[in-house]
Order: sequence, then structure tokens, then C-alpha cells
Amino acid sequence: MSAYKIQEHEYDMIVVGAGGSGLRATFGLAAKGLKTVCITKVFPTRSHTVAAQGGISAALGNMGEDDWRYHYYDTIKGSDWLGDQDAIEYMCKEAPAAIIELEHYGLPFSRTEEGKIYQRPFGGMTTKYGEGPPAQRTCAAADRTGHAMLHTLYQQSLAHDAQFMIEYFALDLIWDAEGVCRGVLALDMAEGTLHLFRGHGVVLATGGYGRAFFSATSAHTCTGDGGGLVLRSGLALQDMEFVQFHPTGIYGAGCLITEGVRGEGGILRNSSGERFMERYAPHYKDLASRDVVSRSMTIEIREGRGVGEHHDHLLLDLTHLGPEVIHEKLPGIAESARIFANVDVTRQPIPVLPTVHYNMGGIPTNYHGEVVQRVGGNPDHVVPGLYAIGEAACVSVHGGNRLGSNSLLDLVVFGRAVANRCAETIKPGALHKQLPASACDKALANLDKLRNANGSSPTAEIRLNMQRTMQADAAVFRTAKTLTEGCQKMAKVFSSFEDVKVSDRSLVWNSDLIETYELQNLLYNAVATINSAEQRKESRGAHAREDFPERDDENWQKHTLVKVDESGKSSFDFRPVHMFTLTDEVAVVPPAKRVY
Amino acid sequence: MNNIDPLRAPLKNARGLGSAKDGTRHFIIQRITAVALLVLAVYFVALLVSLAGADYASARAAVARPFNAILLIAFLIAMFWHGQLGMQVVIEDYVHAPGLAMTCQLIVRFVCFLAALASVFAVLRIALGA
Amino acid sequence: MAEFALPKNSKIQQGKRFPAKPGAKNVREFRVYRWNPEDGANPRIDTYEVDLATCGPMVLDALIKIKNEIDPTLTFRRSCREGICGSCAMNIDGTNTLACTRAIEDCSKGDVPIYPLPHMAVVKDLVPDLTHFYAQYASIKPWLRTQSAAPAKEHLQSKQDRAKLDGLYECILCACCSTACPSYWWNGDRYLGPAILLQAYRWIVDSRDEDTGERLDALEDPFKLYRCHTIMNCTRTCPKGLNPAKAIAEIKKLMVERRS
Repeated sequence: MSAYKIQEHEYDMIVVGAGGSGLRATFGLAAKGLKTVCITKVFPTRSHTVAAQGGISAALGNMGEDDWRYHYYDTIKGSDWLGDQDAIEYMCKEAPAAIIELEHYGLPFSRTEEGKIYQRPFGGMTTKYGEGPPAQRTCAAADRTGHAMLHTLYQQSLAHDAQFMIEYFALDLIWDAEGVCRGVLALDMAEGTLHLFRGHGVVLATGGYGRAFFSATSAHTCTGDGGGLVLRSGLALQDMEFVQFHPTGIYGAGCLITEGVRGEGGILRNSSGERFMERYAPHYKDLASRDVVSRSMTIEIREGRGVGEHHDHLLLDLTHLGPEVIHEKLPGIAESARIFANVDVTRQPIPVLPTVHYNMGGIPTNYHGEVVQRVGGNPDHVVPGLYAIGEAACVSVHGGNRLGSNSLLDLVVFGRAVANRCAETIKPGALHKQLPASACDKALANLDKLRNANGSSPTAEIRLNMQRTMQADAAVFRTAKTLTEGCQKMAKVFSSFEDVKVSDRSLVWNSDLIETYELQNLLYNAVATINSAEQRKESRGAHAREDFPERDDENWQKHTLVKVDESGKSSFDFRPVHMFTLTDEVAVVPPAKRVY
Repeated sequence: MNNIDPLRAPLKNARGLGSAKDGTRHFIIQRITAVALLVLAVYFVALLVSLAGADYASARAAVARPFNAILLIAFLIAMFWHGQLGMQVVIEDYVHAPGLAMTCQLIVRFVCFLAALASVFAVLRIALGA
Repeated sequence: MAEFALPKNSKIQQGKRFPAKPGAKNVREFRVYRWNPEDGANPRIDTYEVDLATCGPMVLDALIKIKNEIDPTLTFRRSCREGICGSCAMNIDGTNTLACTRAIEDCSKGDVPIYPLPHMAVVKDLVPDLTHFYAQYASIKPWLRTQSAAPAKEHLQSKQDRAKLDGLYECILCACCSTACPSYWWNGDRYLGPAILLQAYRWIVDSRDEDTGERLDALEDPFKLYRCHTIMNCTRTCPKGLNPAKAIAEIKKLMVERRS
């Protein structure tokens, strides 16, 4: 194994991933004088933040009364009381400043008549603590907000001369003997060379793992690499059972149609043309939170009111909005619907289906972005040197269900938070401690194994088995039967990875090898997800158990911690939900029945 | 892509020698001469047609008329000027060896300038009856 | 000098053929450019027969099917598969476009030729080296530049001024337009190309930006800007329906305007 030559680089901080949160952290750290490098497997503007459409929430009140405390309440209710209330307070309070900051960076927000940032209604966003009319809180750049935001953040990174290692794939985290995370071993895809990036801290901003499922709005690159790195390092992930299904993925293609369509007045209809959401969420109708809408849609389809040849999907109707509104506010989805569903949205409804969209679970952190684990009696033990932000992390501000437009907010608020935290705790240019000689051994053994893997199952075959299993058995509605079967099937799929076959033996741009690494990461995430789902015996947020239809706050208002060992066996622990706030500006919101 | 050195920082390659703060003059004159030629070329063709079958003396007399002489000189200047600007662009586009490019540019400029001078001189000689 | 023939080691050779499985119903041939820097061989065209009955509708679906089921060594970039990330830009059926939004049935009849973006250095197969393109993007300083103190809230911007950014900010930096431009082929080292000029114009025309003059100064150059000869390939090929040629024309107009 000594055959592998490793180039060493020394930095203060290393960021893995260049999506919204990774970029915000990277230039934030650089601006604080820390020597920072961002390692990314795709060019920054290719990251999946680019596909976010509807907007980014903040109680600016540009278009009607609003208050960040309403936003705080909505987020807690949206999370089905699984979100940590201190973190939610932090995020919602920081939100307006974060949006103004983005505008000052040049983000091309849509505008109101007065020239202010345009805000649209979104699911679960209300006023007066759920008593008032829907809030117009979601700041938008037409329906390309994520694209506009990711490009803006990359532009700021250029302005700050941040350093990037583009098309480098992170193979493993490097730890020292004291259990401090000291760096990342990465593969330069263009040259096939190995690089050890040493730093005083590693920020994981690697995004979600939507590709563990067969049909997801996520990009091909959403493979949960951060979660994989953490699980393979023997640490636990949190709340992995909570997988959000977006109500409106395009039927067949799976591409996202933003909730902003319903925010602008779009309506979901069943086979008889009925606006069925009126029955499930009498007050907020189509603008109930995503888990509620996805479940309602699944029930409609199940009870035979779906459309199409197989009655297996529903319709999103925006024909009544008129061409002007569509052209100004929703041009991107008009384009997507035309390309992927062959639909002219001014005249025809879009065929849609709930589609895997977001992972509420991830690497557990506090609101500074520091990774935490339960160690002995301390549920908030900080893992030295390791940070996580964005979809890869579980702060947890989204709890059991994320509200639409809270994810872009999560990215910038916690991307900035981690930079601020590191500026306080890390001295620029501090000397690097000696790493144990064996620090890279495990990572290199894994590389050697995968590079020369010559089993009988190609990467794509194992991946498909995993995706089909997850799609079938960790769906919108879950039962003990599907979950137990799913766990068994996933255990088999996981062990079949021992027999993986990599065909490409080259070093330069070996995407077969990279996909195999990604599959390994996905498998760890998938096993964590389905086993976490099996053990949580209640329904909360996006985790809907038909055999346990009610929320059980007494036994289950707690975060699941899951570890997956090398054999694919899961083990569990728990952390309490933070039912406290940072200041007295808001009060703790006690659990209540969740009605929209 | 002969100005891209993979050993240099990509931004160094991209920024190159910076902006020449020039090009707009070229752009404007190319368009002005083009517009002039649009009119003058029509006039020139009409003149040629009107002289079809005419003998040498009457053609010479036509050129000598002040109206024709002035427009002909205008046409010739515009044409060679425009031609030079056009050739300049072609050389910039396709000749990438700096020495060769500069030599080509010099030759084109000299040739166009001399050709313009010679043809204007010819018209003047006829017009002024030397 | 511009070269009119490919160098010897770039001449394309006939590659392998991968026939469809017996019983395939609706077979279409994909002829894909292959080059591996490590094997020392010339580039080649491999032919893959794909059964469209079991394949998604887009060219990217076919490429992924090939990689998953026929030849895992086929190398290309891809990510969002919905035309917003710009990863899978390549030359398909003679046109630079995104594999993920290009329907197979919209390709002209017969086989579907797939090449990397034209006139770029190839890293491997369909993966071009875009380093210089990205550096050119950085060179125009594509961020909001102001001298006035930042307002306490957002900069105000009228709907009309914001509308001027439409058709510009949507650019996904896929490089389809720049690599379709003959001027960029011959002078891509110095010419910024349509994509970057469109981005430059996006900042020039932004009512919040105060560096308009400096931005124009930086572009006023026979090579950076004036290599555009209004060939219009950029606008024809843009997979997002944008009009870089118009953006460049607007820059030239401003150059003239500030002199007169």
C-alpha cells in the first residue's frame, strides 16, 4: 500500500463540498483570516443548491406583516416538535440579516413595486403563530432562487480569493490519536493523485443522500458522502428516518416543481378535478406543510383517485394563473414542464407525484455547526475538529419535517455560523501536530480494495438494488412489515458490496471508481435510514407509520442516533430535543396537535 | 490557445496583458466606412454602368468632372480604409505567431495606404488635368 | 497560425461496437467519442446499440444506461439531470447542448454522434478541461461592486431595472455557447467568449453596481470583446434559450455610447 504517493497540504480549515453552505463557510473562513481550502467533487456552480427553485425564507415583512417569532413558531410546528428550539431561534432571528447580506452580494432577487425583495407564500409559513393568514415570507428570484444564490455565493468566493480544489473527491476523514479530526484524504479526479489536506478543522458540507432512493429530485451527485465519511469513522448520524417527500416531483422524470407554484396559487387536483387538499388541510389547503400534502396525495392515489393510465399520479394546475404571472414568477418550471412532461403550463396541468427530496437527518451538530455526539451522560459532546453544515448536517432546525424555503436559509445561516465559530476557536497559522504514521492506513486500504474490486456485481447493479429497496420499503407510509423486510433486504444489499466490480482501472477521471465510493457512502446512509425508521415506533413529521399513526411525545420526542458498523449492523442511542431557547425573546413552544 | 501556459495560474492566463483600452475606434470606423461604402459602391457601380461601351476619352472626361472626382476619391479612401480594417481582423483572427502577425499587419497597412494614395493620385491627376 | 488538420495523435479512429442484447425492440446507435490519456492510443468512436424501450427519453438517460449496463468505463460529467447545473454540456448530433434536456427523439434520424465540447482540451472521453473558461469568468470580477456605503436594508431596485437582468442571470456556465463560437475556437486564449461576455453584461446592466465604467474599461480590447463577429452560433446553441450575441451587442453599443 506504500505504493500510493500522497501529496500533503497544510491549511487552517478544510471545507468539503461547495454547495450553498460550503461556499458560505469557505469565504466566511477566508474572510476571517483562516487559510481555508474547499474540496469539491464538482465545480461549485454544479452543486445541487443550484436546483432549488422557490426561495429562501426570512421575516422581512416586505409584503405584509411578519415577525421572526412567527417564523420560529412555524418552523417548530413544521418540524413536528423534533427541531431543537435554540437552533431554530438562532436561524429565524438571523434570517433577515442573512437575506440582506445575500442581496448586498448581488443576488438578483425579484422585486416588489417599491423596489424591495419580492416574497411569496410557501407551505407551512403562517402569521400570528398559526392563527393568521399565510405569510409571504419566501424571498425569491423568480423560480430560480437556488441558482441565483449558488452563483452569488460562488462569485463572493471569487471576490474573497477563496481557494478551491475542484473535482477532488474526499475519500476519508483523517483522525489523530486523540480522536481529533485533522484532515481529509482526497483524490484529484483529473490526475488520479492522492492528496492529504491537513487542517485544524474539517467542515462537512456534502449535502444529502437523495440518490439512495430510486426516484428523487436530487442530483446524481447527492450521495451523502459526508454521512458516509462520518459513519465510517465510527460516529453516529441523527434522525435518519426523516426523509422528506416533495409533493410535486414531475411524474416519471422526478424533476422538482417548486412549492412556489402553489404559493403563487397553483392547485393540486385528483382524477375528478377536485381540489382535494381542502379536505385534508381546511385552513391552509395546498399550502400545508410538505409531509401533510405528500401523505394526502398518497391517500388520494391509494383510494383510486389518481390520474393517468395506472391512476398513479395527480395533477398540479396553474392554468388559472395566466401567462403573465407564469412568465414573471415561474418561468423555470414552465421550461421544466415543457421539457420533462411535454406540458404547456398555461393550458395544461403538470402530472406530479410525491418524490424524495430532502434529508432532515444527518450529522448531528449544535447551532455553531460543531459536530456533537452522546458520550456517556453528555448528549452534546463536541467532536473536536469536525463540523457539519447544510443538508449533510442535522442541527436540528428541521426536525421531523423541513418547511419549504428553510433549507436555503439553513445553508447561509449555518455556513456563516461555522465560520464565526472557527474564527473564535482556531488561531490562524497554528502549527499542525504530528499525525500518527497509520493515520491514512484505513483510507488507503479502502481505496486499494475498491480500485481493484473485481467481484461479480457492478456498481450500478448494487445501486439499483438499494434504490428499489429504499423506494419500496422506506416510502411515504411505513409499516413494521415493510420496514423489517426493508432492513433485511438492505442488509443483503449492503453485504453484496463486498462483491462489487469496478471495471475502470485507470486513474484519470475514473468515474466508475468515484461512483463506487459514492455507492459505499449511499449504502451506509440507506442502512442508517431504514433501520432508524424501523425502530421509531410513532408517526412524526415525514416519518408516517401506519401501525403507529399518532405522535408519541412521551416516548419518542427525542433524536435518534444511529451508528452503522463495517458489517452494516446498526446500533442506536438518543439525544433529547432542545426544548429551550437562547434568549428570552421567544418562549419555548410546547408540543401541540399539528393542524394546517 | 498559444497563450495558455498550464504551469501558470489560470487567472494569469485569463487576464493576459489586460485591456488594450482600444478596439472601439476600430469598431466605429469599420461601421462608418461600411455605411459610406454602401452608398458610394452603388454610386460607383452606376458610374461604371453609365460608362459601359464609352471610349477612353469620354470615360476620362467623366472622371474629371468634380462631382465624380470627389465621390470617387471618397469611395477609394473608404474602400481601402475598410479593407485594411477588415484584413486587420482576419490577421488577428488567424495569425497567432506574434512576429508574423505584426509583419502581416504592417504589410497590409502599407499596401492599403499606398494603394489608396496611388488611386487617389490617379483620380486627382485626371480631375486636375495634369 | 490556425491549423486546418488535426495533429496525428488526435485523428479519430474506429472503435468498438457494443451490440444490443438479443430481443431488443427499439434500437438506436450512439456513436461516442472516447479517449483515455493513459492508454496512449488515439481517440476513437465507440458505437453503442441501446434499446430505447428500456431507456429514458433524454440523451443523458442513454449515456447513463450505457455506463450502467454496457460499459462502465464511459466517462462524462453529469449532476442535476434537469438542465440547471450545466455539467453535461457536450456536442450531441452536431450541436452543443445539455445531454439531460436533449431528447433522443429530437436528434436527427439514424445514429446519434456524441462528442465533447468542441475545440477544448479533453481530459477523458466526454470530459473537457474548462479551467481557462472558469478563469476567464473570474477575470471579469463577477460580483456586485459598489463604493457607496451599503444600505441598512436591501438596495432598492425597480421592477424595470430588475427585468434587465432577465435573460442574463439564468446562465448556467455550461460553456455550450463559447465552445460553439469559431472566434473562441481560434482565439479562446484571449477572447472572453459569449458566456463570459454575457456574464459581464449582467453586471454592467445591474442598476445596483457602481463599477460600470471600470467594467467597460476592462472589456475594451480588440481580443477580449471585439473578437465577436456576430456569427450567432452562441445564441443558436444556448440550451437555456439565452441570447449572448445580444448581450455582446449591448456592450458594444455602450462602448460607442460613452464616446458620443
